Amino acid sequence: MLKKRIIPKFLLKNGSLVKYKRFFDDKRMAGNPVSTAKIYNDYGADEFIILDILPSDDSKNRVLEIISTISEEVFMPFTVGGGVRSLEDINLLLRAGADKIVINSQAVLDPRFVNEAAKTFGDQCITISIDYAQIKKGVHRVFINGGRDRTNYNPIDWALKMQDSFCGEVLLTSIERDGIMSGYDIDMIKKLDSKLDIPLVVSGGCGGIQHCVDAFSAGASAVAISSLFLFTDHSPIKLRSHLFSNGVNVRASKNSWN
Amino acid sequence: MKSVSIIDYGKGNVRSVYNALDYIGVESIITKDSKEIDNSSHIILPGVGAYGDAMKSIRDYGLDEVLHEQVINKGKPFLGVCVGMQVLSSVGFEHGEHKGLGWLDAKVIKLEKGPECLKIPHMGWNKINLSLEHSLFKGFNDEMLVFYFVHSFFMKTKENDKILASCQYGINFTAGVAWDNIIATQFHPEKSQDTGIKMLNNFINWTP
Repeated sequence: MLKKRIIPKFLLKNGSLVKYKRFFDDKRMAGNPVSTAKIYNDYGADEFIILDILPSDDSKNRVLEIISTISEEVFMPFTVGGGVRSLEDINLLLRAGADKIVINSQAVLDPRFVNEAAKTFGDQCITISIDYAQIKKGVHRVFINGGRDRTNYNPIDWALKMQDSFCGEVLLTSIERDGIMSGYDIDMIKKLDSKLDIPLVVSGGCGGIQHCVDAFSAGASAVAISSLFLFTDHSPIKLRSHLFSNGVNVRASKNSWN
Repeated sequence: MKSVSIIDYGKGNVRSVYNALDYIGVESIITKDSKEIDNSSHIILPGVGAYGDAMKSIRDYGLDEVLHEQVINKGKPFLGVCVGMQVLSSVGFEHGEHKGLGWLDAKVIKLEKGPECLKIPHMGWNKINLSLEHSLFKGFNDEMLVFYFVHSFFMKTKENDKILASCQYGINFTAGVAWDNIIATQFHPEKSQDTGIKMLNNFINWTP
């Protein structure tokens, strides 16, 4: 059986790790990306995601350097994104050692981009990132450019459209739950998962073990986690062992090998 | 002295294999040069891109003949990973029909979404079951046989005696093949943390 995945997610701004609430509030510094990635490799996280939230020409080069350094010592899959606008951006990140590439805004700005990227690099290597928020009761919209600009797509239609463009995975982030630690958006996960044929990674709201159990029950293939790992005494080791003993099909922790 | 040629044939991440070998302390080069490949003791064919593209590059660079000479004729230890395993088959059906290297009577076909409502690609960590004893899994206990997969196509072969391992994902598919000096896996050892590093280390110390 395929294991459910635990994925630490890190946000980069000018080369440092940061964490906000609801994308823009309460900025907190969260350390050095390279040493953090190594720690999570040792913790036996299943993958990790690293996103540059304020991409610029300068920050793109720093991200490439960071990825190269990480890939020298971290032997687990990692997904990288933020400011991916062209096939060349993707090529550079892959050559630096990334395994999967996150596309977000450019998918909206250029409807053919995801298809081209999937054809060139393989669909398994393209993750579509969807940031969404509720704009009025029961109405959700996709936001791009780091949550700044609203589009007319609802997240479910948009995810299905991107699946038709051959992306390999969806990373679904609730802007309103980001950093709040009150639980994932279970209704949205259920609705999307029931229609989606590709894996779904859910993000935004994780504040404890039960939240992960709920997300997996709702159909998520993987949970992305930031605040819980950065600001509490939870680690992937502790979370994994709790999930495992709660009957969730995750990898056993390393210390059970012997 | 041991040195590894990582075959450079397409678009994608081959650096991870290089870094993993560097971490173990083994010299390697990412190359498509026949002399450099001839000078190395071990060969890894990493997995990048789709079957058809991969085979096209392999042929365009003349690597099909180089690999045949080095692996089949000279018997150098060979490890194929992901698409690097799939192209050992006679034919692959990813985006059309493509001829493979044909080292194995096998075809590569798409994983189909089944009654268990499985997601495609098969992406993440999964358990393998070994059907052969092999030096590359020396020192592994059953719980350690969990590796990272990411693929939408899989290999189907009638050469049962060459099936090294299988994996359950809706169907029971071939996760690895091995015979003589050749071993190939659908999963990515270079992305499978400690267990993957251990397997790569065993590959370097393998005397087929």
